[in-house]
Amino acid sequence: MVEFSGEIGSFKAKVHRKARYVDASKCTACGACAEKCPTKVPNEFNFGLNDRKAIYKDYAQGIPSVYTIDPNHCRVFQGKKCGVCAKQCQAGAIDYEQKDSYVDLEVAAVIVATGYDLFDATRIPEYGYGRFPNVISSLEMERLLSAGGPTAGHLARPSVVKGEARLKELPKLIAKAEKDEKTDAASALNKERKWLEEHVHKYPTAKKLGFIQCVGSRDFRFHKYCSNYCCMHSIKEAIIARDHEPETESYIFYMDLRTVGKGFEEYKIRGAKVSGLKYVRGRVAEVLQDEELNPVVYFEDTEQRCVRSMTLDMVILANACSASKGIVTVAELLGIALDENNFVKTHPNKPLDTSVPGIFTCGCAQGPLDIPESVAQASSAAARAAEVVMTGGRALAV
Amino acid sequence: MASNEVLIIGGGIAGMQAALDLGDMGITVHLVEKNPSIGGKMAQLDKTFPTNDCTI
Repeated sequence: MVEFSGEIGSFKAKVHRKARYVDASKCTACGACAEKCPTKVPNEFNFGLNDRKAIYKDYAQGIPSVYTIDPNHCRVFQGKKCGVCAKQCQAGAIDYEQKDSYVDLEVAAVIVATGYDLFDATRIPEYGYGRFPNVISSLEMERLLSAGGPTAGHLARPSVVKGEARLKELPKLIAKAEKDEKTDAASALNKERKWLEEHVHKYPTAKKLGFIQCVGSRDFRFHKYCSNYCCMHSIKEAIIARDHEPETESYIFYMDLRTVGKGFEEYKIRGAKVSGLKYVRGRVAEVLQDEELNPVVYFEDTEQRCVRSMTLDMVILANACSASKGIVTVAELLGIALDENNFVKTHPNKPLDTSVPGIFTCGCAQGPLDIPESVAQASSAAARAAEVVMTGGRALAV
Repeated sequence: MASNEVLIIGGGIAGMQAALDLGDMGITVHLVEKNPSIGGKMAQLDKTFPTNDCTI
């Protein structure tokens, strides 16, 4: 959205529609273009655990069911000769000349449902996220567990996924270094290859998992608030991991387990009884890594009153729910107030009403919420917006 | 003149649910999403608690 004005019952908005460079009315989403596209790009939907092409869809079931060209990577937009996708497309849907456009809208009400951003765990360097391949975020874990994900649901350690990809590209790099007579570089690459060949497949599946709770939330250095859904999220991931591989052992390092919600406490108990999850009460101080790339966690076990360490196959961080970065721009445009954490400011008695009449909010834009609550708020926000439409804004105008 | 349409910013689970509800009431909705596909974070989830059902 680029422009916004007006008041309840008659807002005017100008929306920037980005070019897809694919004609949505012609594309049948057959995928022939992406199959032949020569440009590989790290797939951000899977957090770089695999590659996508420069013409892509986020995921197979994605709606709208239309491919999109990423102009930052597509060869044609880099001034090179290519046009492979246009040749492959039988529907003639590829249109490199497509331009961005602007859509003018007149609406009675607005709902802000901009969601959240995952807390950036590199801000807590002692946990090693970004440095150690087998320390991952909760959403990366989701992609590893997903049948539609980069490993087709096999719980492979990211060091294996990345190591295998590296092994594939190394011979080319070594050949190039040798051709250019860069002997030092070539020997370093050869050494890397030898190490990878010996180590990558030692631990093909992650079987001993550690979940670190409250990464960035309930932490006075970052977010003071509780992120609401992470306890349940980690328990769920541990249960699913066990469903995939019956030998899986999971340890959940927590301060408090806040399993508030219908059926949630029972789910936690089921996790321990049926899926063998172990809940360890204590804060993790540091994560290190041994020579096999296994994360080693150091933590205070408050039940045993001692400091312990544990070597794991993989560590999954329960990243906090941070306000989305884009919300500041959106809020400025709409003229709505944000709270001290950059979530949309609301009144406790009217949790979906923003500071501007006729603009409502729901989901994680309003604050950290789990899915059932987000859905409930969304239906409620829809009802509030419908009130405005049906009364022309009279019912809510102040 | 008063409009009878609604603008929703964000096509995640909350935005989609609100859009569906309003649509079912016969109200025209404009759903604005910055990514190529709707679904948001929830589309990245594998299964959801407490039933361990698949998501979207």
